[in-house]
Amino acid sequence: MLIEHEPYSLNAAEKQPLLLAELNALTLHHQQHCSPYQHLVKAQWPAFVTANQSAQLPYLAVRLFKQLKLQSVPDAEVFKVLYSSGTTGTPSRIVLDSATAAIQSKILVKIMQHWLGKARLPMLIIDHPGVIKDRSNFSARGAGIQGLSFMGRNHCYALNDDMSINFEALEQFCQQFGDGPVFVFGFTFMVWQFFIQQLKQQQKTISLPQAVLLHSGGWKKLQDQAVDNSTFKQQVLTQTGISKVHNFYGMVEQVGAIFVECEQGHLHCPSYADVLVRTPGSWQTAAVGEEGVLQLISTLPRSYPGHSLLSEDRAVLLGEDNCPCGRPGKYFHILGRLPQAEARGCSDTFFPSAKERTTP
Amino acid sequence: MSWIILNPPTIKAELQQPFAEQDFAYCQALSEALLKAPQSRDFPDLIALGFWLRQANLKPLLAPYQHSQHFIRQPLGLVFHSAPANVDSLFVYSGILSLLCGNKNVIRLSSRSGGSTAVLIEKIRALAELFPAQNARFQLVQCSYDSAELKALISTVNGRVLWGSDQAIQAQRQLTMPAHARELSFGHKFSLCLVGAEAVLATNHEQLQQLVQLFYRDQLTFAQQGCSSAKAVLWLGEAAQVQQAQQRFWPALTELIEHKQPLNSSEQYQALATAQQLIMSSEQQLMLTQQHSISRVAVNTLEPVFIDQHQGCGLFLELQLSDLTQLNPMLTQAHQTLTVWGVEPGLLKNWLTTAHTGIDRVMPVGQALSFSPDWDGVNLIEQFSRKVVSTF
Repeated sequence: MLIEHEPYSLNAAEKQPLLLAELNALTLHHQQHCSPYQHLVKAQWPAFVTANQSAQLPYLAVRLFKQLKLQSVPDAEVFKVLYSSGTTGTPSRIVLDSATAAIQSKILVKIMQHWLGKARLPMLIIDHPGVIKDRSNFSARGAGIQGLSFMGRNHCYALNDDMSINFEALEQFCQQFGDGPVFVFGFTFMVWQFFIQQLKQQQKTISLPQAVLLHSGGWKKLQDQAVDNSTFKQQVLTQTGISKVHNFYGMVEQVGAIFVECEQGHLHCPSYADVLVRTPGSWQTAAVGEEGVLQLISTLPRSYPGHSLLSEDRAVLLGEDNCPCGRPGKYFHILGRLPQAEARGCSDTFFPSAKERTTP
Repeated sequence: MSWIILNPPTIKAELQQPFAEQDFAYCQALSEALLKAPQSRDFPDLIALGFWLRQANLKPLLAPYQHSQHFIRQPLGLVFHSAPANVDSLFVYSGILSLLCGNKNVIRLSSRSGGSTAVLIEKIRALAELFPAQNARFQLVQCSYDSAELKALISTVNGRVLWGSDQAIQAQRQLTMPAHARELSFGHKFSLCLVGAEAVLATNHEQLQQLVQLFYRDQLTFAQQGCSSAKAVLWLGEAAQVQQAQQRFWPALTELIEHKQPLNSSEQYQALATAQQLIMSSEQQLMLTQQHSISRVAVNTLEPVFIDQHQGCGLFLELQLSDLTQLNPMLTQAHQTLTVWGVEPGLLKNWLTTAHTGIDRVMPVGQALSFSPDWDGVNLIEQFSRKVVSTF
């Protein structure tokens, strides 16, 4: 099983046969246990039996999880349902049984440990504590923070409920742990807007030279401010002394097997996941270097048919097994979301405002 | 949001005699402004509107509604129009017909309106000085549904016209209008295209090209977003014949689409995602065929869920019919325009008399988007005016 391997340990020749065997088994499993999925496979891939390469696998438009409740387990085995708000405001519903939830957590830990080390580190969270307290209005942000909290200890929230910096807590944290390795986590926009920018405006710096900052959640708002990844990293270094900064990409529809950015600024597939880029319209796979829509493949989803999803993100595949960072596997760039289809329908005069998508 | 008047009046609005020369002149001036505007080239809907607004088009269109010896036509009064955000220029059609009926009009534009609306607003503003009376009777506003000004206005109207989604219409119905006032509502609709398989098989190359051009104009000018653009293609003929006709028709259409590229990547995604949604939520086992950016889903019946779920953007449901009456139990009030190609008129007419539910309008393929005073089974001229019957 791929989950027994280290996150970045397999080259294509080693990985693809294992990946295909597991994905074919998953496809069959979902065909047998999720009848809408079976309907789709028969309708769109009538000749499908097994895939000889991952490009032949059926794929599901990710927004279907907003529109339909898709599960491959009986109701009695449902352990929990994950919700996320998306751009249309309708949440995705991801049905987990206990086994799938456990594997997701296990794999998330495995990937995180690659970047953070095995020991639990003191953890600085760039958010306010209220974000996980309000259970009735539990956001994707809250879920992401909670999901990663067990990777750390001595948790400290850097912000107050009004998004100002809690300098007292921050300074105490830096004093106590600043000399050693620490884990800093936050959503990309929160880190930029409410932490780095505030430190800069108030002409304050902190010193966390051995920290690792992991951040996620999309670049749209930063792009609007013309902030790119290198500007982001430079500013983080200036204000906090953190030089190890890694963005990661993932979605609630495929929790666990996340894609973390390496030192070269490339998002990497872990052993348990893969990506393809497809050209809109023909939906054929695009070559390396060619822009298209990202298809996400993961061996983890067993309780819902989410092992092969067509995302709404534009991306470009950069290569496989040849990233200068040395990690094997495919690596890629996210170019942003597909623009919202222009509102021209008779049925959309009255439309809820779009929300920013957040991803754990 | 506050209440914003986009073309403020310079004089007080007064009701007018229906079909007044000055009102036609206003339409003619707007027509010329639109057809001359360089920006119109980017918006086919503005060109179509420009042609529709010509006096030479409007006068014959309205001639049948002139006074007769049995009645005198008078305006309805103050009419409120709520425009949809989609086919941007749609509001002008009903607004102008109401203006020509002599009414005072207030037109609420969506704040999300697209580029062609901006051009229209600019042209309408530019005419205010030359046509102060018409401008005052054709007021464009932007406001939220809960604005106090809107509420006050609605409480004094003689009629209102609500375009848009079913939700938007219900939301606007919360505002009370006077007991005597009329309401016209044009909610969510689903249109169909009927094609005779035998006729398609009998076409030569040129005739086939003409058919796909007309079909393209109806369906892809607005990425299938106009309510009269067909979302389902009904093939009349025996199964084998239909299959042959499809094999002739779709490659010709996709070739044209390849050439014109009418759909952007988001729309292409939308078509695929919607096709998958329909397939996964249907009780039937549907079949999907993808050809370039066109997705086709073969169905055995038109399920009511298709009406809400189908988002267009290059997605066509296909249904084979051996006999037109098979369609009757599938039709609902939401089925609006039926565009037809290659079906014998006698056969069509006989069948139409049996279809008591659904279908407001039957047009040749190529004319789905043309506007007529009869819309969704309602005559707008009659609704925007009062017939004063006089036996003297």
